[in-house]
Amino acid sequence: MHQQVGSQKCPVRNESHFITALKHWSVSVAVVRSGASMKDEHMIDKNDLVLVTGANGFIGSRVVEGLLERGFQHVRCFVRSSRGGSRLETLAKLDGIGSRMEIISGNLLSPQDCVSAAKNAKVIFHLAAGRGEKSFPDAFMNSVVTTRNLLEAAASNGCLKRFVNVSSFSVYSNQHKNHGKLLDESCPVEQSPALRGEAYCFAKVEQEQIVIEYATKRGIAYAIVRPGQVYGPGNEGITGRVGIGTFGIFLHFGGSNTIPLTYVDNCADAIILAGLKQGADNQIFNVVDDDLPTSRKFLRLYKRNVRSFPSLYVPHAMSYLFCHLWEKYSAWSHEQLPPVFNRRRWYSYWKSTRYSNEKLKKYLGWKPRVRTEDGLKLFFESCRAGRTSA
Amino acid sequence: MLRVAIIGCGKIADSHASQIGRINGCEIVGVYDREPLMAQQLAKRFPVKGTFNSLTQLFDEARPEVLHITTPPQGHFDLAKTCLERGCHVYVEKPFTVWTDEAEKLIAMAKEKQLKITVGHDDQFSHVSRRMRSMVRSGFLGGAPVHMESYYCYEIAKTGYSGALLGDKQHWVRRLPGKLLQNIISHGIARIAEFLVGDSPEVITYGFTSPLLRSLGETEIIDELRVIIHDINGTTAYFTFSSQMRPGLHGFRMYGSKNGLVLDQDQETLIKLRGARYKSYAEKFVPPISLAGQHLRNASANLRTFLRNDFHMKAGMKFLIESFYRSIVEGAPEPIPYREILLTTKIMEAIFKSLSESVAEPTKLCAREQAATVV
Repeated sequence: MHQQVGSQKCPVRNESHFITALKHWSVSVAVVRSGASMKDEHMIDKNDLVLVTGANGFIGSRVVEGLLERGFQHVRCFVRSSRGGSRLETLAKLDGIGSRMEIISGNLLSPQDCVSAAKNAKVIFHLAAGRGEKSFPDAFMNSVVTTRNLLEAAASNGCLKRFVNVSSFSVYSNQHKNHGKLLDESCPVEQSPALRGEAYCFAKVEQEQIVIEYATKRGIAYAIVRPGQVYGPGNEGITGRVGIGTFGIFLHFGGSNTIPLTYVDNCADAIILAGLKQGADNQIFNVVDDDLPTSRKFLRLYKRNVRSFPSLYVPHAMSYLFCHLWEKYSAWSHEQLPPVFNRRRWYSYWKSTRYSNEKLKKYLGWKPRVRTEDGLKLFFESCRAGRTSA
Repeated sequence: MLRVAIIGCGKIADSHASQIGRINGCEIVGVYDREPLMAQQLAKRFPVKGTFNSLTQLFDEARPEVLHITTPPQGHFDLAKTCLERGCHVYVEKPFTVWTDEAEKLIAMAKEKQLKITVGHDDQFSHVSRRMRSMVRSGFLGGAPVHMESYYCYEIAKTGYSGALLGDKQHWVRRLPGKLLQNIISHGIARIAEFLVGDSPEVITYGFTSPLLRSLGETEIIDELRVIIHDINGTTAYFTFSSQMRPGLHGFRMYGSKNGLVLDQDQETLIKLRGARYKSYAEKFVPPISLAGQHLRNASANLRTFLRNDFHMKAGMKFLIESFYRSIVEGAPEPIPYREILLTTKIMEAIFKSLSESVAEPTKLCAREQAATVV
């Protein structure tokens, strides 16, 4: 039950084929995949315990699958709540899979829950995070306080070899580069994230800082993974890097910009490799796929494959001016209009930028298992299915 | 310069810090949270003079005159009591306290120490609410209200606050006697309490868990609530809380012996309902045209307020805080009478008591009678 995707065989991510595909895995775990081929370079044994937080999430569930697929015998899945019918619970019910998974539910705001979760873990894949929507305190509490609790528990535990912190492209400032210049891991992060007007960015910048602080003070080795825009079945929205629908009509801000997409399975592979590969301690990795589409192409394909809707292209100069004026008005009016549009956000989301995954390939041997062309097909298919079922 | 401090640095503390920043003659001299990281994140985003690792340090070093308590409700009483003991005026976020006796003690203590205390019922001070109050005081209703209807809805989603609440059996909201309701319905109950004259209205309650929540396996949280309140002078009120009805209203209707008023908090509109009828077919045409005109004037008023730069989402909170500070500095009356704070707390306690009793002894046919309580 495999579907040819790109140059490699890949289990079908469509939910209807999910169980069949996983059953196949359980009897043919030895299938050599991009990650599995790196087994000799893993810094831990497959019998070692690994912890995945946010294991029920969009990316987290794929990370769990990927670890099981690579033969790990003890994958501890930390979830906020355990509800029947989740992707993870379906996985746990499969023969030969469930015995290798341990699902524990709890709250990372509880230090005690963190101690239980981190106990004996050799690698922690930390994906749980709070998006906070518009609330800075919520995003901060569920990203930074939770991360501190987990790091504290791991430090007390003493057997952790690496803490993989899943961050985001949103931490980059992208302000002081010429148009079209390359954004890579050496680029500066936002120095005043509160001024971005984006709770998620603020929380992620602060979260990275606390991870680095624990590395310095408590010697916890880390790998920070910064995915671009993660897409795939289960996350059906159009990224804000393409445009926004806030004002009734879709304003297309992206234009000719490259959209830093990474298909969810490719992203999960990168996260796994960042946790397992030797020599990746205290490194930062950007995750984007190859052959990235422009915003214009993405929008055209979306309209053709999912649904048609009116959109208005806003040239870069105009979108910059719009963000600048909004920012000024917001400050002048003491945030009668909150500063959701501002120049910092424009630099991060809509400034023309090129992206690199060279470090990911060079250090971790990562290759995207799903080509962008195929990923987009699966994504659009999922969007259509979602619309039909809705 | 009035020295202000904030205790509790969660979501609502952002609104407080933001609105305090818009008021002249005050400054935030310190913030404290049991979790130091939370205090730090607030201080990074607002002009705050310092963060403190203990309450004692906050009092001793920042020397605040006014404390804003923005913690979960379980901590309100003890914290407010401590603040009063230290000689500080206190603004407590809603709900004022968990229990009525706690509210009584705090108010008695504030009176005894000649300090001011208030509660964050800021919806009652939005532009439209102030317009309504002014109309009622002018006698538009034709006397005391005959009947009131207060709607306070809350959309439960799988994400954000409600997602966290549904997914976490240990969430602090679940530990409140009235759970989700206790953390949310104060605004809607306070609107009714403002216009009641007696201190012991009869309260009849009916609440249940919505089919949606039940389908998610939720059995503890009541997210559908209907309340009837009957005051000593004959005024009655309905209160509706719903997580399911759409639109999710935040509104208030008042009917007097002459006319009525309809307030929509979300749209910030106030509609006057004329008690007298037009003759014959005129009743079919004149009122709709009149209502259209009123909606247009509401839109125009909102636009003018926006252009005056006074239409912030939390404009009511700014007005309430400003009024509270004025009552401290100038000795003016408290913006919310203590009687009203107590009555709101009493009605809420009666609701939660009825609900807990009806949950303990479910009787479908006479649920209403069982839930009737005189507060």
